[in-house]
Amino acid sequence: MRPAPQLIVLTIGQGLAGGLAVAFAALWSIHPTSATVADTLVLMALAAAGIGGIASVFHMHHMQAARYILRRLKTSWLSREALTTAWFGGALAVLAVWTLFIPEKGTGYLVWLWLTVALGLLAMWVTAMLYATIPAVLSWHTPVTVLSLLSVGLLSGGAAAGIAAPFDAPPYQVFVVALMVLAVWTLLVKGLHWRHFHEAHGRLRAETGTGLPFAPYRLQDTGTTKPPYRTQTQVAPIIPDHMRHTATATVVVLMVLAPVLFLILTLTAHVRAWSIIAAIAVLVGAVAERWLFFADATHSSRVFFVDESRHPARVGTVQTAARRAVKRTQPPTVSQ
Amino acid sequence: MQLTIITDLNKCVGCKSCQVSCKEHNTSGAFGPVPDNAPYQDPDGMWWNRIVTMESGEFPNTSVMYLPKACMHCYDAPCVPVCPTGASYKRDDNGVVLIDYDTCIGCQLCMWACPYGVREFDEEEGVVKKCTLCIDRLEDESLPDHDRQPACVQSCPTHARTFGDLDDPTSEVSRLVQERQGFGLLPELGARPSVHYLPRRPAPSPVDRETLDEALKERY
Ligand code: SF4
Ligand code: SF4
Ligand code: SF4
Repeated sequence: MRPAPQLIVLTIGQGLAGGLAVAFAALWSIHPTSATVADTLVLMALAAAGIGGIASVFHMHHMQAARYILRRLKTSWLSREALTTAWFGGALAVLAVWTLFIPEKGTGYLVWLWLTVALGLLAMWVTAMLYATIPAVLSWHTPVTVLSLLSVGLLSGGAAAGIAAPFDAPPYQVFVVALMVLAVWTLLVKGLHWRHFHEAHGRLRAETGTGLPFAPYRLQDTGTTKPPYRTQTQVAPIIPDHMRHTATATVVVLMVLAPVLFLILTLTAHVRAWSIIAAIAVLVGAVAERWLFFADATHSSRVFFVDESRHPARVGTVQTAARRAVKRTQPPTVSQ
Repeated sequence: MQLTIITDLNKCVGCKSCQVSCKEHNTSGAFGPVPDNAPYQDPDGMWWNRIVTMESGEFPNTSVMYLPKACMHCYDAPCVPVCPTGASYKRDDNGVVLIDYDTCIGCQLCMWACPYGVREFDEEEGVVKKCTLCIDRLEDESLPDHDRQPACVQSCPTHARTFGDLDDPTSEVSRLVQERQGFGLLPELGARPSVHYLPRRPAPSPVDRETLDEALKERY
């Protein structure tokens, strides 16, 4: 599948905002943070949600019709995503105003804070369901997709919250340990997810796709001079193995291993720079994770567009070999 | 009623006449244009009907098959419920799946949901387009009866394509599907395509030159 940058930014922005809201609510509930920390965290969440929201606008290619987007709430996860993300954004905006401008932060504030968290988690879940409920995208059609998007969102938001979270307050250590556990959990979930991606590659069946009486099958011609990669974004050439491996390694190192190391350093050395580096590493790792999520996804229609490399056409091979043989027997041309 | 097209894979010779007539009709018809990118330099563009060529079997026992692939006008079309605006819809009266370009936001979710890769994105207009089963021809009462069928069916030189109502058990398409074991593509994905294909008869088993010579000698 061709990865759309706006979808990468949208899903990461939403996850980041949700994760930041959860982290802030957890920190505040254990022990209310200083005003500066609260302001920073809420503004960061709002900015992340805003960036995601702007990216979603770029994904609508025919803006005049945008007003119809809530028409199919009964069946369409995209309608539901638009609604729940708007609810979350609205709640977050109210929370930001309350945090920044209203000094009274009693029970009402706490209730609103957790309501925002609930809406954030709802929006993240709905977004994840959008991907997990498409049977034709074999790689995504699993509950692990939901776990994966939620985990990466919470991890990136948590790591980003680490930038501003107070060192001296007691919940900080609990917070850092929780973050490390979340990083390891996310690695497990991603491992399962990638295994599903790998199996999806193998599940593509030309037999049922074509009804030909005997296997194996090779695609000789997609019907036009070029495969429809330009007009059909759900198929794109399969990414080469080295690219998949590099992206996977980037995710493991930047989203999990490096942050755990930096968080240990933050705990022991109490130097804020480490938590900032950890947050940046997680964010870059999350971008690589999301790119791989789209670029490596197998769509069922790929069976009609891409040759199966395991069974290269022998006819082509024989012809090429024959051509090579003819070339070898021809006398070399002598330039005049 | 479920209007559909049945293609006999024994008759299709891969001439791409249906592919071209689809583009021609729809570009000039009510639902066009079916756009092109850089048609005079590096041609690329949108096609609602693509003829896929597949080779099967192990060399030297191979065979080639042509598979015209357009919208399957599925009974349980997965492209319809995912659409947030209701732009993708299935008509109750004849089962044709259509897109309302005025309400499509171009999110392309339906392209992901369609198992067959028959929906295409028009970058110029920012909407998704696909085969309409030539609904503009079917419903144009000013046309003579023989023209009120899809362009691709009408243009097929080998009569490999048959158009009709699959829900009517007495129709030609129902008879063909029943008698010739018509099948739909990717059944495991649950879209229940209404478009069916009539399977290839098995290729005759290959005979090498020596066996053939011997057989001929024995016989004559
Ligand atoms: S073939 Fe694809 S576009 Fe056509 S009705 Fe089925 S799911 Fe929808
Ligand atoms: S691209 Fe258009 S038709 Fe397809 S799901 Fe989006 S709004 Fe609906
Ligand atoms: S029915 Fe019409 S729109 Fe559909 S493939 Fe045939 S010619 Fe094209």
